[in-house]
Amino acid sequence: MKRLLTALVAAAALGISGCGGGGTNITPPPPSGNFGLASLNGTYAFTTSGEVCAGCTFAATPMARVGSFIADGMGHITGGIEDVNTGGAPSSPSSITGGSYTVNADGRGTLTLTFQNGNSINFGIVLTSTADGLMIDETRTGTQASTGSGNFILQQSTPFVLSELTGNYVFDFAGFDGAQPNPNPESFIGDFTADGTAGTIPAGLFDDNDGGQLINGGMNPGTISQDPSQPAAFTNFGRGTATVAGQNFVFYIVNSGRIRFLSTNNGMLSGDAVLQSTPPAGFIGDFAFLVGGSDSNSNGLTRVGRFTASGNTLGKMLVDVNDAANEVQLNNLSNGTISSYDSNTGRGQLSFQDSTGQVYTFVFYLSSPNSGVIQDVSPSNTAGFARVVADGSILGQSGSPFTSSNISGSYALNWSGIVTSNGNQDEEDLVSQVTATNLSLSGTSDIFQFTTTNLTPQFDIGTNGQISFNGGDGTGDDGKRVSMTVNLSNTSPINMVVYIVSPQLAFFQSANNNVPRIVAGILKGQR
Amino acid sequence: MKALIRSKAAIVALVIALALCISTNAQQATQPVAQQLRSYDISRESFLVGTVLKFDSASSTPPIGAHLILQTSVGQVDVHLGNGKVLKASHFELNPGDSVRIVGEPLTLGDTTYFAARIVQKGTQAVSVRNTRGFLTTPASLMTPAEKEALRGVR
Repeated sequence: MKRLLTALVAAAALGISGCGGGGTNITPPPPSGNFGLASLNGTYAFTTSGEVCAGCTFAATPMARVGSFIADGMGHITGGIEDVNTGGAPSSPSSITGGSYTVNADGRGTLTLTFQNGNSINFGIVLTSTADGLMIDETRTGTQASTGSGNFILQQSTPFVLSELTGNYVFDFAGFDGAQPNPNPESFIGDFTADGTAGTIPAGLFDDNDGGQLINGGMNPGTISQDPSQPAAFTNFGRGTATVAGQNFVFYIVNSGRIRFLSTNNGMLSGDAVLQSTPPAGFIGDFAFLVGGSDSNSNGLTRVGRFTASGNTLGKMLVDVNDAANEVQLNNLSNGTISSYDSNTGRGQLSFQDSTGQVYTFVFYLSSPNSGVIQDVSPSNTAGFARVVADGSILGQSGSPFTSSNISGSYALNWSGIVTSNGNQDEEDLVSQVTATNLSLSGTSDIFQFTTTNLTPQFDIGTNGQISFNGGDGTGDDGKRVSMTVNLSNTSPINMVVYIVSPQLAFFQSANNNVPRIVAGILKGQR
Repeated sequence: MKALIRSKAAIVALVIALALCISTNAQQATQPVAQQLRSYDISRESFLVGTVLKFDSASSTPPIGAHLILQTSVGQVDVHLGNGKVLKASHFELNPGDSVRIVGEPLTLGDTTYFAARIVQKGTQAVSVRNTRGFLTTPASLMTPAEKEALRGVR
């Protein structure tokens, strides 16, 4: 509560950098809902990806976290463990010995994890249910600041058993490679077979986009096992080590259906592997997708869009691109083709082209008939190289028509990306809880911009906004492009283009803003 | 200056200037422009020599990042220098009137053509702002091995 009051004063006094100033003062609404301390109760696996400024001798360094914490349902963190990879330098796992958390009625709250040496890290959280939530890193100490976006998921009841990791898993690991001194962005997706009983990964298939260079095929056999140096960490937190396609990882089991990975050599890759159900016989249906990454223009590229897959062809394609703050709506897409799809592996490749003849190509792996991972492999003018490095999620659209009746209720919102402000270009992470009523949004946000000179997050910012079914095609209610404006207190409106996946989930990215901003995120219903 | 860059005439002038002032090779001459400008390729690199007219460490002009307007012998060129923090961390200052040499290649972004720098050199100091595949250098990549090693344990 003290933080809330302090932040209210601060939020009233300060606009958000990089939002153009102006705007109106927005008082955060009183938290309402059914969440409370008891909503966070159990062992949760968490992951974030962002940046850290340690000592701040240099500008920020990429950082990925993965770990597990135990919440007691009464505001206390009673244990846990965390692995960190900072700029390609993995750290030994560190035990979480304590901490605390808060959860307001609206699901917003704070999370502090304290390590054995007394140091703590801090997060802003929004619960989307008692089993999961979104989070941003809000750590700011005298010597360190870190930000990043991620989430946490309730893990199964302990003890963990390796043999439950059996079956085919679809994975998406993103980050950068181990090239020195200038690493390349890397996207590594595919599927592998896990034999937890034997502790092996006997086979797998991968697509690697490493600095644009495309390599795909079968992977060498690997391993998945307990960490001999941390046996208790496996039993209590599902933590182990794996070798996937020759690269070393630490992993945390959420349950037999999901494993969270962080690389421990050759750069910094992180992401989840999801148990694959039997792939569908054909790639059919309405899909929305969101990818993020880099290209030669800058370290910021996002694409969000949708299409209808009908066996060998794609139709009703719409895509929005934010490339280095250059924002483009692609409407007249043609030649939509599913050039390959293997119902044995769930792997496929699709492509389409814009009105200038530019071809967009993606590889995907389905983990179920309506979900999967997707990697941008759009061809460049150099054979074997893609012109971008980007990946993300592909999800089947359902529940349309989308109207003010079903796009309604309480949502968690998170975005992450790059913003330019204060003469700097750096990361921005935001987490919010908003209530949608007649497509008007009202809620509260935390934001951490690494462009500020003092690297300080801002808490409890009054937030409102509007969702409008007024996309370029005018038919947003059937799952096509819609728009969303987010107003943070005392700042200029921030505009987003949105593709609704279902009444409970939407993908969005920044669009049509005066301030250079390359962010993308999700709007997820609270249960 | 921003208006100059964004105006259509300036874009045409920029393209012409790029075509004239950069060193070219036979491979470039045979490639269609649209094909040539799609993505970074070190085999197409050329260089610019000129005088800094304006430097902006975090420009609002896409592509996001540091830009400078370079006066060359045949016109002005918008040069993208990547992440301005790389220059700052390298203690590399750019001011109007500075003479610089830039290695890179022209790229397009939407309707804009710009010169994507990989290496910027002033006097005897040179800074790499892109790697050989065209991806931007990050400030973290400037750290020494010892400084990187010190990151282990940072939580």
